[in-house]
Amino acid sequence: MSQVDGDDGLTPLWGKRSLHRLPFIVLKDLYSSRHLLKLLIKRDLSGKYRRAYLGYAWAVLEPLLLAIVYTFIFTILVGSSDPLYPVKIILGIIGWTMFARSLTTSAKSLSSSINLFQFARVPKTVFATSGTLTNAVLALISLTCLIPFYFIHDLPVTANLFLLPVWLILLSFTGWGIGLLLAPIACKVPDVLNLINFLIRAGFFLSPVMWTYDMFNSRFGSGWHGIVAHMNPTVIPITGMRDAVLGETSNIPGYGYAMCFGIAIIGFILGAMIFERKAHSAVVNV
Amino acid sequence: MTVVMRLENITLEYPVPRQYRKEDVRPSGVRNLSLEVKQGEILGIVGRNGSGKSTLLKMMAGVFPPDSGRIAMAGSVSLLAGVGVGFHKELTGRENAYLYGALMGRTTKEIDVLIDEIKSFAELDHHFDRPIRTYSSGMKSRLGISVATAFKPDLLLIDEVLGVGDASFRKKSEERVKQLMNESGTVVIVSHSMGLLSSICTRILLLNDGEFVTIGEPKEVLLKYKELLKLD
Repeated sequence: MSQVDGDDGLTPLWGKRSLHRLPFIVLKDLYSSRHLLKLLIKRDLSGKYRRAYLGYAWAVLEPLLLAIVYTFIFTILVGSSDPLYPVKIILGIIGWTMFARSLTTSAKSLSSSINLFQFARVPKTVFATSGTLTNAVLALISLTCLIPFYFIHDLPVTANLFLLPVWLILLSFTGWGIGLLLAPIACKVPDVLNLINFLIRAGFFLSPVMWTYDMFNSRFGSGWHGIVAHMNPTVIPITGMRDAVLGETSNIPGYGYAMCFGIAIIGFILGAMIFERKAHSAVVNV
Repeated sequence: MTVVMRLENITLEYPVPRQYRKEDVRPSGVRNLSLEVKQGEILGIVGRNGSGKSTLLKMMAGVFPPDSGRIAMAGSVSLLAGVGVGFHKELTGRENAYLYGALMGRTTKEIDVLIDEIKSFAELDHHFDRPIRTYSSGMKSRLGISVATAFKPDLLLIDEVLGVGDASFRKKSEERVKQLMNESGTVVIVSHSMGLLSSICTRILLLNDGEFVTIGEPKEVLLKYKELLKLD
C-alpha cells in the first residue's frame, strides 16, 4: 500500500539523535517536563507517609533509630569510645540511604511504571528522576535529626557545612546515573532487580556507614586496599559529609576525589546514553 | 485535504516468547504499513484481536517507536486508552486529575480552568477530594474518562474506552467523545462496535495479522471484515 504524497512540513515523532547529544537531551527533557516532575515528587512525598500518624517525622526517626541500634551493636562489638560515633553513623545512614534509594528508584523506574509508558508519551527520565529527587527531599528532612547533637557535643558551625549539600547531591547524582544505566536491562530481565537489591545490601557493609575513613586507613593503610576502596563511589562523599558537619579534615588523596567525581560524571553520561537508546524498546518488548 | 499525520512503511514486531521460538511463530505487531490521516476525517480501524490495531494507535501517539519506517505529524496528538493508568491510590481524585493532566502534557493552569468540569462530569461529588483507594472501579473509570476527555487535541486517538461505568454513564461518555470528535476535528478510532464505526467514520482501515488489507468507505470495508471473520 502506498498513499504517501510527499513531505509537506510534518514533524517526525521520532527524530534521529546522535549518541553524544543524549546526556543533553536528558537534561532538556527534564527541564521541559519540570511541571510533571514537580507533581510526581509531590505525589511520592504525600503518598509515602500520608497514612502514618507521625507523617514526615518518620524521615527523621528512621535514621535516628537505626543510629541508636548500630551504635549499640558497634560499641559492644568493637568497643568504640568515640562520643561522636552516633553522629557519624547518622550521616553514614543518610548518605548511604540517599545513594541506595536514588540508584534503586531510577533502576526500577521503567519496570514500575511500565503500564503508564504503554499509554502516555512522557519522557521516561522524568520517572527515574522524580524518585531520586523525592529521596533528596527526604534526606534533607532527615538531616534535622542532627540539630540536638550540635547542642549536646557543641559541634562547630563552620563554612564547611556548605559542603554538606554538595556531597549529598553527588551521592544522589551518582546513584541516579548508575540507575539510568541499569534501568533498561532491569526492565527486560527482572533478575537484575534482585541482583541490585543484593548488591545494595552488600554495599551497605562495604561503604562507610558503620565504619569511618580513618578506621579503614588505620587498619589497611594506603596500599592497593585504599585504591580498591576508593572505587566505591560513596566512600569520599560520606566522609566529606562527616568532615563538613564535624569540622574535621580527613586525609583524602587527590585520586580519591578524582575517582568519585569521575564515576559520577561517567555514570551519568553512560546512563543517559543507554537509557535514551534502550528504554523505549525495553518498554515495548517487555 | 491537509494531511495531519503520515506513516511511511512502519514496522513494529514484538519478540516471540522464548518457548515458541523453535516453532517458527510469526511475531505479532504491525508490518510495512503506510497511511495518511487527513484533517477533519474520522478514521476507524478494524481487525481481529491481535491484528495490530492498538499497536498502530500507540505508534501514532508516539508512545511506541517503530522498528523501521517514519511517522510525522502536525499539531498535538492525544491517545484515549488505558483510562485510569497512572492513578495513585493515596492521592485524592482532584490530585490525580492534576497528575493525569500533566501526564497528558497539560500545565496546572490549563487543568485549573477545567477542574470543575472534570469533577462534575465524573459525578464524584465529595468523593473527588477523597483518596481514590476508597473509590469503586466504576468511580475510577469515570474519573479517568472525565480527565482524559477534558482536553482537545488536534488529532484524537481512541482505543476501546467507551465501555466503562453504568448504562447512563456509558451514554454520557459516548456523547462526550462525539463532542470531542467534533471539536478535535480529526479522529482515529479503534472499536469492535461495527454499528458505532459505520455511523461515525468517514473511512475505515482493515488490518489482518499486522498487515494492511484495505481502506475505504465504511460499508465496503466492514463487509470485507465480516467476510474475513467468516473465514475463521
